[in-house]
Amino acid sequence: MPSWEDFKPFIVTGLALGGVYALSGVGMVVLYRATGVLNLAFGAVGAMGALLAWQLINHNGWAEGPAFLFCILFGGAVTLLYGAIFGPPLSSRDPLIKAVATLGLALILLGVMDLIWSDKARSMILPTSNNGFEVSNVFVNWTEVIAMGFAIAVMTVTALFLRFTKTGTAMRALANDREITATLGVPVRRVEAAAWLGSGLLSGAAGLLLSNLVGLDATTLTFLVISSLAATLIGRLRSITVTFIAAIVIGLVNALVTPILSISQYRDMTPFVLATIALLVLSGRRGSALSGRAG
Amino acid sequence: MSAAGATTTRSAPRRLRLPRLDAGERVRAVVILALLLFVLFGLPPLLSGYWISTSTQVAYYSLVALGLGILMGRTGLVSLGQIALLALGAWVAARLFFATGLPFPLVLLGAGLITMVLGVLIGLPALRLSGLYLALITLMLAGAITVALTATNFPNGGGGFLGHVETDRGAADVRRPLIAHGDTAFFRYTVVVVAVMFLIALVHVRAKPGRAWAAIRQSESAALAAGVNVTLYKMWAFALASFLTGVAGGLLAADSGQLFITSFPTSDSITLLAVVLMGGIYSLWGAVVAGILMKLLPAMLNNWGVAADWLTIVFGAGVLQVILTAPRGIAYQFPRDMARLGRLIYGLVGRARGTPVRERAG
Repeated sequence: MPSWEDFKPFIVTGLALGGVYALSGVGMVVLYRATGVLNLAFGAVGAMGALLAWQLINHNGWAEGPAFLFCILFGGAVTLLYGAIFGPPLSSRDPLIKAVATLGLALILLGVMDLIWSDKARSMILPTSNNGFEVSNVFVNWTEVIAMGFAIAVMTVTALFLRFTKTGTAMRALANDREITATLGVPVRRVEAAAWLGSGLLSGAAGLLLSNLVGLDATTLTFLVISSLAATLIGRLRSITVTFIAAIVIGLVNALVTPILSISQYRDMTPFVLATIALLVLSGRRGSALSGRAG
Repeated sequence: MSAAGATTTRSAPRRLRLPRLDAGERVRAVVILALLLFVLFGLPPLLSGYWISTSTQVAYYSLVALGLGILMGRTGLVSLGQIALLALGAWVAARLFFATGLPFPLVLLGAGLITMVLGVLIGLPALRLSGLYLALITLMLAGAITVALTATNFPNGGGGFLGHVETDRGAADVRRPLIAHGDTAFFRYTVVVVAVMFLIALVHVRAKPGRAWAAIRQSESAALAAGVNVTLYKMWAFALASFLTGVAGGLLAADSGQLFITSFPTSDSITLLAVVLMGGIYSLWGAVVAGILMKLLPAMLNNWGVAADWLTIVFGAGVLQVILTAPRGIAYQFPRDMARLGRLIYGLVGRARGTPVRERAG
């Protein structure tokens, strides 16, 4: 068994990754609650944004700041566009169908990324990754601090936004009943557009951070969404707080297993394992509530 | 079922009676049989080695597509991890092959059954919740199986439970069945196995499970109220799909000999979903179309020197198009469009010979 010293550096990486998973998870839950769409293209949008930023910096001579901003805005724009085109016609369909439709967007983006950027490995280093500080012999870089801090900020702001602003209240109402909300005079389309845009901006930010923490590769970034999905599933696609905590735990467990050599190779199964346990608990509880029904 | 069958249900249990075919169905059965014979004996001499092996892939990927098609079209369940289950099936088949030396059909059967058990164990907790949960957990499963198989590798004749050994002299292959060693013979073998599996699926759809699935798809609460055991039949569909996928995995293992996890990317599970939707989920033919879209089209593009990534984009657009406008997919839409086109041309030609014919599809 490795000693405490071996684990310490992985606490930092775990918290940072967990932070990004958390902000992705919060982005997905907010969108799901407001529109009923679970955006499975979340990772693909972020990956595309990050690769575009790389392209702008290395081939078009953009400065880093504007390129990173472009990445985040790209996420917002693509997601908003998708929501504007496909949101209304699908609004009355089953959530499962809406989620499957976003896979169409994911495939389109994956295809484009593979066409343009599949030739070689790339990397993009945020300037904040080069500097940092030490906490009890563990080096912490600023990107990791930003990831964690940003996640906390996003969760807090989102919770306050949903609680206290007019649009936030409208979003919560939409989550409850779309028809009644529309009848009461809430501009449904506009509120949904706000959710699409906000969620999209978060996907861009998550893509940027992940490309730096994990690596700049289309497929990897696209399917990192699985970790956030596990968190949203544990939060039952509803609770922002539970999603946040679950995401941090997934990031931490995933990283902390690294020094344990016997299972280190299997660490990326963490989201699946934790989500399965959560499902067992959930279905057990649901089952007992329904146990009165005939076979 | 036919109306004639329904009137006689009251008196006798129909469990052991052979299905009665009406005239239309008899014609269709003959056509399908002729088509099958053509694929088995007429097609191979026309194709080069490259197209034979591509056609073999089309055949067993149709089987994977059939599994997903039954899930989506019959019970309204979505699995995003079918290609990972295919990899699992291939792993089990290779494992059984090296460990037991069973005859190949038994290896296939074992791969199907073990994949079925594993699939059901994983799907069971999600099946009791809403469909979205099953989609999510299977997507995670796809990621997890990829991770696990990357770490363990596929069996290649080594010892131990995992059966993998690193050699520089080339590892042992999963051998094809003795009667089907060559590419053409294995193609025929695959087509026969796949045809049998389609028949099994057809029997399910026509019999009690199919009716239960139809009830569940219409309305889960109505099915529950009518006394259908919803969880059991959902699990049944998931088990059948996993079984078909496991058998396909066995065929794939024998086809490729040596297996690598890179042949089963997670994104393929999504692509599979796309082609199954485009092929059509309400008809078993849709699965054949899906197999062709998934394996034949990339091979053709490859031949012409076009990047297969274009297909991914087309499939993505296809998903959106199917969901928005044509939920029944190509297997339903294409014959209708063709029939409409045919009627249009016939009508135009019949009405005014000599005037230019304007074709208008759809």
